[in-house]
Amino acid sequence: MTDHTCTGDCTPTLQRTRASDPLPGLDKLVDFETGKMSRRLYWDHAIYEQELEKIFARSWLFLAHDSQLPNPGDYLTTYMAEDNVIVVRQKDGSVKAFLNTCPHRGNKLTFADGGNTRNFICNYHGWSFGIDGALRGMAGQELFIASGMDKSRHGMHEVAQVASYKGLIFGNMDPNAPSLDEYLGDFRYYLDVMLDMDGQGTEFIGGSVKSVINCNWKVPTENFIGDIYHALWTHDSAAHAMLGGPVSEVYKNPDSYHVNFNGHGWEFNTDIVGNAATLGDKEIRKYLYSIQPQVAKRLGEVRSRMIGAISSASVFPNMSFLPGQNTFRVWQPRGPHKIELHTWTIVNKSAPQEIKDRWRKGTMMTFSPSGVFEMDDGENFEFSTRTNAGFVTRQQDMYMGLGLGSQLTDTDLPGNVFRNQVNEANHRAFYRRWMDLMQARDWSEVPRRDVPKVKDGDLVYPMAKESV
Amino acid sequence: MTTKVFLLKREALKPGEVTRVELSGCPLAVYNVEGRFYATHDICTHATASLSEGEIVDGDLIACPVHDGTFHIPSGQAMGHPCTVDLRTYRVFEDAEDVYVDLESEAEEASSAI
Repeated sequence: MTDHTCTGDCTPTLQRTRASDPLPGLDKLVDFETGKMSRRLYWDHAIYEQELEKIFARSWLFLAHDSQLPNPGDYLTTYMAEDNVIVVRQKDGSVKAFLNTCPHRGNKLTFADGGNTRNFICNYHGWSFGIDGALRGMAGQELFIASGMDKSRHGMHEVAQVASYKGLIFGNMDPNAPSLDEYLGDFRYYLDVMLDMDGQGTEFIGGSVKSVINCNWKVPTENFIGDIYHALWTHDSAAHAMLGGPVSEVYKNPDSYHVNFNGHGWEFNTDIVGNAATLGDKEIRKYLYSIQPQVAKRLGEVRSRMIGAISSASVFPNMSFLPGQNTFRVWQPRGPHKIELHTWTIVNKSAPQEIKDRWRKGTMMTFSPSGVFEMDDGENFEFSTRTNAGFVTRQQDMYMGLGLGSQLTDTDLPGNVFRNQVNEANHRAFYRRWMDLMQARDWSEVPRRDVPKVKDGDLVYPMAKESV
Repeated sequence: MTTKVFLLKREALKPGEVTRVELSGCPLAVYNVEGRFYATHDICTHATASLSEGEIVDGDLIACPVHDGTFHIPSGQAMGHPCTVDLRTYRVFEDAEDVYVDLESEAEEASSAI
């Protein structure tokens, strides 16, 4: 029972297990110099169990958008990997998150996707918890008190850290993890392209679309972190349907990049509307062109040209989005060979209602279970995983060496910047971060590879003057 | 015979608020519902819970903080699941700036509801 000795991170509601030893031989699974990567990363149960502990239980994971919880008592349930959590707005306006389980006999506390409530009452014995997580009472309370139970030590277990960046609320199970701002680092400079075009923020519209894909969670994360390369072939027929022609020959565009920081990555060119165009709706393109000059005044020319450009991004470990198409998603792992995909449509709060509606329909048509692009991707994701059931197959290494040697050093852009968006630099950066965490017992052992250039003050912009 | 016992100053409890007052070993929940004062027993008739830790909802109902059952504040009537047994009420007098209670009498609304 030595692995259950107290680590000092224990709270009254949770006894934390001491970090397990890193798997032996991890460093042989990826060769960052040549771009070789073992298929075991997509298949092995032992690796997956370590990921739950070493990646998901100590990374910042997306919980909710501010717009989903406008009022005190508003809550939703979501996942931090396989841990089901309740995210709830407090009376003072702050947000807390708790494990969605009763500390009495372990039943699930709430079965709802969301709503507004004054308390959470367990179905099993009627234990009741306030929105602050405190145990408020139960039937036969005097019997528990007579048994010597201290009510204050049996509340819901609170997620160790909750923080937000410009409307996106994240949680971290590790009290010793670096702050969200430090974790996102210079990637915040790029996140502002989506989250802060005009200082009025963003919102999720409509509900959440959920689906199941039989793939390892890293396959779609790496697809969104930097793989525009697949679009030329995978999405050729969908592009013909939506655009009336093939995907543009992005590899010929000299003004396109891979950027990454702390394992988060964004591939993009600066064509303003390339992604948006795939929705086949010219009103959306007109909207983006109409706001681009104002965004340029706020965020500068380069970022203003990214607002709907051909691009894609992932925040480590499993959150992704597409500027222009405006799909926002989390790939929730369900074992090594399955994910539950949760998606939303994100829009500027200030956009006209008609434009918001067009985007909602656009994401349905392109990046939903029946969307023309999502269907293309799903099959690739599944078979990139499934082939590795083969004992011999999974001993053949894969390749992610595209763009080795393409890093730019003479650029003003923050983060690690690489020439040409057709690249696998972000894949390598993602797996570098993955490897760092998988080999570390705690955050103090995670190397600080990326040095931030962006200061917090750089992410506050003067409001654009209204034209008179 | 009525025995008027001082509860609190009017200004001590704002409309929409509820507080606990203990009088000679009897815990009371005192309510200000849109400017009118009411008092009931503080302990929920369902499980062990202090109603004064609950919230006034839907105008004149008190929602128990534990299982969210509700009672009608003026009459003490059990209104919402899981509460089935009515709540004891007490007659309240308002005199200028002061609020008094008679621990021997039910509220008028409770008596008339019988």
